[in-house]
Amino acid sequence: MNSGNWFLIKSLCDLSFRQCRGWRIPPRRLYANATSFPDYFKNPIFRKEQQGKLIESGELSKLAAVPVKPPATYETCSVYHDPLVNKVINHVMEMGKKQLARSLVEKSFENIKRTQIERYHLAPTPEEKNKIELNPKIILHKAVENCKPLLQLSPIKRGGITYQVPGPITEKRSLFLAIKWLLDATNDKDRTVHFPEQFAWELLDAANNTGKVVKRKQDLHRQCEANRAYAHYRWQ
Amino acid sequence: MLTRNWRILSRQYSQAVTFRTNESSPQQHNEKQTGLFYTLNQDTCKSLFSNGGFPKSFLKQTKTFTETAIMIRQPALDLINCIKSTNFDAPVIRYVLYGEKGSGKSLTMAHMIHYAHEDGYLILHVPWVSEWLRRVPRHKEMSNSQTHEGFVDLPLDAAAWLIHFKTQNQALLKAGELKVSEEYVWSKREKTEVGAPLSELVEHGITRVKYACDVIYALVREIKTLSNKKQCKTFVAVDGFNSFFYPLTRLNTPTKRKVKPEEVTLTTTFLELTKNDWTNGVILLSADQLAVPDDHQESYFPRYLLRKKGFEHLDPFVPIEVGRYTEKEFLSCASYYRDRLWLRGPPETEIELKFTSASNPYKFMEQCAPL
Repeated sequence: MNSGNWFLIKSLCDLSFRQCRGWRIPPRRLYANATSFPDYFKNPIFRKEQQGKLIESGELSKLAAVPVKPPATYETCSVYHDPLVNKVINHVMEMGKKQLARSLVEKSFENIKRTQIERYHLAPTPEEKNKIELNPKIILHKAVENCKPLLQLSPIKRGGITYQVPGPITEKRSLFLAIKWLLDATNDKDRTVHFPEQFAWELLDAANNTGKVVKRKQDLHRQCEANRAYAHYRWQ
Repeated sequence: MLTRNWRILSRQYSQAVTFRTNESSPQQHNEKQTGLFYTLNQDTCKSLFSNGGFPKSFLKQTKTFTETAIMIRQPALDLINCIKSTNFDAPVIRYVLYGEKGSGKSLTMAHMIHYAHEDGYLILHVPWVSEWLRRVPRHKEMSNSQTHEGFVDLPLDAAAWLIHFKTQNQALLKAGELKVSEEYVWSKREKTEVGAPLSELVEHGITRVKYACDVIYALVREIKTLSNKKQCKTFVAVDGFNSFFYPLTRLNTPTKRKVKPEEVTLTTTFLELTKNDWTNGVILLSADQLAVPDDHQESYFPRYLLRKKGFEHLDPFVPIEVGRYTEKEFLSCASYYRDRLWLRGPPETEIELKFTSASNPYKFMEQCAPL
């Protein structure tokens, strides 16, 4: 599953929990704090493509009578809307300063674009030029994809000793770790270097399958490989 | 219905648009080329704008785009027409560029400077007045003027401007036909004699930074008399001119006294230059919101920005508005950005960007950046 499906997964989970309501199982909230909307409010479908699909499959008439939450400010039908970018912006955000976070991420996109365009002009042959990826969003997607770990270590206590036991990782957590590691690597910088520059470098490195973050992922994989003898502690 | 309209609009935008013109001499620009980009060649760029003249964000773009291209816009064409039909025996006409932030006043000015350069004008160009009066780096060189009682000199800024003047007018100064008409005594041993070439005066200001402000004062007087005598025609361009009329500068004297702009010798010099008591010249000024602090940027009109004093100083002048992009200009700019790889994505992007940037050139450029 790729990260683009994130919203889809969310809405699917939503639906399945709704179905549970009949059996008097309290529905799990998918949001941290209480909202002003009761649980039977549906999440908005704000993308043109998704709306088109709904119209085609005829599911729109089913949804017509259902109350729907208003979309948040970041849920737009803009052409350059990207769920992953939103996610990254939310990770960069501190103390609710979203505008700042957004400007930082956009600034780093600009930096990526400038370096890539420069490389493009420096490349001698058309074939080499074609190889260079100029779209910063695609670079971000690639970078996150390359940083996602496939396994994780979880501490399990057996006989008074805590073992680091390798195990599978959920899609959501691996996305979380990828973004977290990218930001960790970025924040581990000189005081004089600005965030957008460093983040741009990290993204370019990761998209290239090199750099600190990819190394960190490989280290984790190596550790998991080394600890494979403990794997049975997961169920014993 | 909506999707159909959308499709039609997108098709309209995706059509190939000519956005470039090969006419690189501003003298030949005419109404047919509005909205097209022309490329400045590297040498003129270096000689005219190496010491300032382009906004910083534009300089960044030139590096990314690997060329310096300026859009030919209506205000510049109007100015060129006006200048071509000016009677040069009459007192100089003052043009004031005004417009919203980021609408391209400085670039229009750059276009006009290129025009003046091609047309053989002697150029006196101040890239940004606030650089002198409002920007205070850690070590701002300041001294009390020795010739003008109670005035403040900015010797380093003045010397930097002289260098700028020298590089912009290399050809004219090298020809050596411009002569000094008065004798200037700087100190016991240093003086500039009658009939010395103008370049000697400039050179003196650059080497003896102490006298740079006085040299500029002398230079302006000399240039005025030279233009009056028809020995040269002069083009004066001052960006952010309204900074001279803001009540306070950000400069402090060593005794912590706030300096008023009229107490700076450079101000008096350039106010002297912008009077219309001389002939055979063109004065192009700009009133910019960015030249004054944030809390005095309510309007972009010259009457507000120049304040009463500046308005009366300039009256009568020709106001020229630099506005947002028109439909045609926006299209050609978008296709230029697409050509330079600055903008990509589906054609609907343009429609959206036009909406969100309100066709403001700077905002448009800025919003294209992360795409």
